[in-house]
Amino acid sequence: MAPSPRPGKSRWRAFGQLGPWLLLVAGLLLVRFSKGAGFADAYALITRPFWPGPAQREWIVSAQTVEDRSRLQLLEQDNLRLRDLLELQRNGSRQDDVGAPVISRSPRGWWQQLELGKGGLQGFQAGDAVLGPGGLVGRIASVTPATARVRLLTAPGHEIGVWLPRSRSHGLLVGRGSSRLTLQFIDKDPNVSPGDLVTTSPASTLLPPNVVVGVIQSLNEQAVPAPTAIIQLIASPEAIDWVQVRTR
Amino acid sequence: MARLHRQPICVASSLLVPLLVMGSPEWISIDGVGPAWALLWLLPWALTDGPISGAFAGLALGLILDGLSLGGVTQVPALLALGWWWGRLGRRGKQIQRSLNLGLLAWLGSVGLGLSVLLQVLIREGGSLDAFTQSWGWQTLWCQALITGLLAPMLVSLQLLFWRRRVPS
Repeated sequence: MAPSPRPGKSRWRAFGQLGPWLLLVAGLLLVRFSKGAGFADAYALITRPFWPGPAQREWIVSAQTVEDRSRLQLLEQDNLRLRDLLELQRNGSRQDDVGAPVISRSPRGWWQQLELGKGGLQGFQAGDAVLGPGGLVGRIASVTPATARVRLLTAPGHEIGVWLPRSRSHGLLVGRGSSRLTLQFIDKDPNVSPGDLVTTSPASTLLPPNVVVGVIQSLNEQAVPAPTAIIQLIASPEAIDWVQVRTR
Repeated sequence: MARLHRQPICVASSLLVPLLVMGSPEWISIDGVGPAWALLWLLPWALTDGPISGAFAGLALGLILDGLSLGGVTQVPALLALGWWWGRLGRRGKQIQRSLNLGLLAWLGSVGLGLSVLLQVLIREGGSLDAFTQSWGWQTLWCQALITGLLAPMLVSLQLLFWRRRVPS
C-alpha cells in the first residue's frame, strides 16, 4: 500500500475518530467530580409527577399521630401505675371523661357560667372539672338531673390551686372577670417567667392532676406580700360548643 | 284600674325573660355583655300595672334569675325597688311613652342593677376590689346599661302598646 501523500491530515482524522470518546470521558469525569449533579437534577425533573403528594404526607403525619397517641397511652398507664403506688387520686385517665354540649353560655357579664346539656343522670357532681379544647375551663357549680351549671375559671372570686411545672412551684389562680386571671404565688421568689405553662397540681385531689390551664403573660414582682402574675387561659369558653366533664 | 296581672297571657310573657337570659344571643351584646332582659320586661309591666304589681314582678323575676345564675350575688333587691319606682312613675302625671324617656328609664334601671351587683361583689371581696375586678365591673355595668337603653325604646314601646290596649286605664 502506498503511503499517504499527506501524513498530517491522517493524524487529524484519527483524532477526529477518537474525539467522541474523549468527550465521553470528559463528561464522565465531570459527572464524577460534580457528584452526579446533572443526573440527579435530570432524575428529579423526570420523576416529578411521581413524587409523594399531600396524601402520602398525610399518611406519614397520621402514622406519627398514631405513634404519639400510643406512646401517650403507654405513658398514661405508666403514670397511673405510679400514682397508684403513691396512693394519689386516680385521675388523668380519659376513661372518666363525659362529653356534654354547651346549651347556654355567658362568658362575659355579671355571671360567668356555662349550662351543659347533661347532668346528674350522667354522673355529674358539683366540683367536677370541665375541660375544653386547650385545657381546664371551669368546675361544675350545681347539677340538675339533665343539666349542669359550670362556674368558669374567669368568674370573679373563683379560686383554684395551680402548679408551675418548670419552676416546680404552687400558686393560687383567681378569676377577675376578664379572660386574664391573676396568679398569686406563695413563695416570694417563684422563679417564673412569661411564657411558663400553668397546670393543675400533680398531687391535686380536688381537680384532675396535670391538666393544662394557661400561660403566664406577665409578672409583677413588686406585688406584696408575694409576686403575682397575669395568666392567659388556653381554652376559650366563648368558642366552645362541647366540653368534657371529668367525673369522679 | 289596670289589671294586667289578671291576664294569663301577659303573665306568661314573663317566661320570655329567663329564656332570653339563657339564650343570650351573641349578636345583641356589647363586648359580649347582653342587655338586662328582666328590666326590658319589668319597665312596661310596672308602668302599666302599678307599684305593688311592679314590685311583686321584680321580686318574682329576681328569684327566677337568681336561680338561673351562680350564687353569691342577688338581683332581687334592685329589681324589687325598680318595679316599685317605675310603678309609681306610671301612676303619676302623664303616661310615659316617649322613646327617649323609656330609654332613659331603662338605662337608669340598668345602672342601678349593675351598682347593686357591684356593691355585693365588693362586700363579698371584703370591702376592696383589685384593679382588674374594678375594670371588669365598670365595663360590664356600662356595656349592659348602654345596650339596655338602646333596646328599650323599641321593645318597651311595643309592650306598652300591647298591654295598654289590653288593659286601658
